[in-house]
Amino acid sequence: MTLYHFGNCLALIYAPYHMAYKFSGISEYASFSKCVTAGCLYIFTQLCKMLFLATFFPDSDSSLSGEYDIILEFLKATVDFADLVGLYFAVNSVPGKGHAKIFTAAIGWASAEVLVTRGVDLWGGARGAEFDWRHVRGACEANVALLRTVAISALLWQRPKTKAMPALLATPYRPILETLLASALGLTAWGAVGLSAGVAILASAFALKLYAGTNAHY
Amino acid sequence: MWLDEADGFAEIFRGYLPFYLLVAVPIFLIMSPVSPVAASHEFSVYRMQQYDLHTAPHGCRSASFNLEGRSLTSWSTSRHCVVARIQDITIDQFMEIRSKAGALLLVLPKNDTILTPEEKDHIQLLEMAMIQLEVNAPVYFAQWSPDFENILRDLQHSFITDDKSGTALEAMVNTVSSNGYQIVVTAPTPQKVDSKPVTLHGKLAGRSGSQTIVIAAHYDSSGVVPELSQGSDSNASGAVAVIELARIFSRLYSTAAERGGPTLLFVLTSTGHSLNYFSIKKWLEEQLDSSDASMLQDVAFVMCLDSISTGPMTMHVSKPPKAGGAAHSIKSRLRIPINHKKINLADETLAWHHERFSIRRMTAFTLSSLQTHKTGARSSVLDTYSESPNHLVSNIRMVARALASHIYNVTEEVNDEDEALYDKALSVEEDSIKHWHKYMSSQSRAPQIITTNPPSIGVTGALERVLARYMEVTVSIHTLDKREPEYALYSPTRAILYVYSVKPAVFDLILTLAIVAYLTVVYFAMQMFPKFYDEFAKLVNGKTKEY
Repeated sequence: MTLYHFGNCLALIYAPYHMAYKFSGISEYASFSKCVTAGCLYIFTQLCKMLFLATFFPDSDSSLSGEYDIILEFLKATVDFADLVGLYFAVNSVPGKGHAKIFTAAIGWASAEVLVTRGVDLWGGARGAEFDWRHVRGACEANVALLRTVAISALLWQRPKTKAMPALLATPYRPILETLLASALGLTAWGAVGLSAGVAILASAFALKLYAGTNAHY
Repeated sequence: MWLDEADGFAEIFRGYLPFYLLVAVPIFLIMSPVSPVAASHEFSVYRMQQYDLHTAPHGCRSASFNLEGRSLTSWSTSRHCVVARIQDITIDQFMEIRSKAGALLLVLPKNDTILTPEEKDHIQLLEMAMIQLEVNAPVYFAQWSPDFENILRDLQHSFITDDKSGTALEAMVNTVSSNGYQIVVTAPTPQKVDSKPVTLHGKLAGRSGSQTIVIAAHYDSSGVVPELSQGSDSNASGAVAVIELARIFSRLYSTAAERGGPTLLFVLTSTGHSLNYFSIKKWLEEQLDSSDASMLQDVAFVMCLDSISTGPMTMHVSKPPKAGGAAHSIKSRLRIPINHKKINLADETLAWHHERFSIRRMTAFTLSSLQTHKTGARSSVLDTYSESPNHLVSNIRMVARALASHIYNVTEEVNDEDEALYDKALSVEEDSIKHWHKYMSSQSRAPQIITTNPPSIGVTGALERVLARYMEVTVSIHTLDKREPEYALYSPTRAILYVYSVKPAVFDLILTLAIVAYLTVVYFAMQMFPKFYDEFAKLVNGKTKEY
């Protein structure tokens, strides 16, 4: 990847997060520190998850058979409920109106996620001579992740409403379901990104509908 | 908290952003782990043969390159490395590449492909043409692999066009979708290697001790790729035959009653036709010109064995054998056709092994399955071991019989009982022949490999040890002339090839445009979101009010 290409990928990742922060109106609340708190919560949650996984699923790395054990994967995905708990705390730790809570927590959370998961990959590939679509794809996935995280926090914010519950319960299993669907449809890597973008858009439309409904009751 | 006091981190960021961009980003990038091996493909490749024969250069003269890969049809300048299958390239194309292209990478046929006789002929001709001259560009050979197949296909079907596309849009689509490959080989510059050819000989003393029969073969292989020249036919088969004959006759000669008249001398040499039979030349000089020349005083005939596994044999001579002579006696016992070819000293190399002996006025002939020395079959990468058709065992049996009947002067097998006895005494061990043939063909025996190792290891060592079972073996190490070396060999013979996927610079510009367009859409979507939300809320709440 050339330096120019590195810049391209960086812009594709960073700009949407920056714009989301600027134009969602939360920057007026001077709540950058709250974003950082949400990010720290993300990292803490991941550490807890890793400890849990390493303790109870010790053979996840040593299984070299290459077989896709669906039950095991489902059990592992269940651990992702911790993400919901962490994000729930993040949402509730932000004072203010509903949309500020949602956006602050979501942007902090998603930024930390992107930094931890994509950052290393991008940094490591920055000086290689090799071109790989992977980096551009990763940047697009980061955009999708932002949208998804906003949708999930919006759903979490109105947890009291039972309507949001089924969607929330499905969240931890989303990656595995998407993988299965993508392989069933024979999608390429880009197709898989498109699929998760579609799922994220549907989820956010649903979240927006509930949000609009909730606000009408106040 | 400090962060809260700072009135938003964005403020700090704004002030420090230029500084950050100028200092932190470069530091981050420099700190990033750079791994040159992070290429998507990495292959073992084998460099083309490089040697000088009497200071005439042959083969590939350079080793390293870093060039863009192109197919046979799309390359144009010396900045391109041509990648092709060996079957696809014609000799004319090779000549053009030789003079203009930056490098050449040839992929050998897949192991299980059945090549038609025409394709085989073509590859052998190409190999001969390649090795005839010197090539200044690096030339490498690679074994077939699925990854290579993909690269070849990519290079053939979608090459990055600079000016050949019809419309601008077409060119753009082409640029985005096509894969370019940067091909990199880092290898030391070619250097002469210290070559020490050897000759092994062992003798079985006969009764009379006057006449000597020499049985000789060279055991190296030659080919356009040193690392891949297994030389199963040329000349593992001849060397195996010498070992087997040594075994058979050592048994016969072990008891005084059965010992034949003439002394038998078995000779294995480590440089063959590609290096003009240098070892045997040196060995003959040493044996004949030394004060004690008893061993080769009275030679009945010299029998050279060269490539005898592919079919019935022919006897190649430089001078038609005289009736009544020893060579004629062998000829009549073998009942094989004879091929007479005069020695041409004007040629760069001698045609057959026996010519070295003929020059020294000995009666000599070569037994070979090949009809002519002009074939490329003796120096081909295609010369690998195959179970069938394999005439080696039957040919060895035939030679052993003819030799024995000449030594013991048996004119005709009188009855069945005698013949059975004869068969028993001369029985060849098929398993041992197959085993040795396989072993010799399992590795490259190019001069670069066998003459640079010390003689006690590798193939030379194995041959010495097996011959030592039957007789006393003498290993003569020959040295090249210091000032005017008869030949010179060069390393490296292999290297690692890295293939990087690359995109042209235009691609990054197009990508930037796409990203800017996408970000603009996102920007306006965010700007429009409040309005959209109002409409959406009205719609949703309107519905909710209905029930």
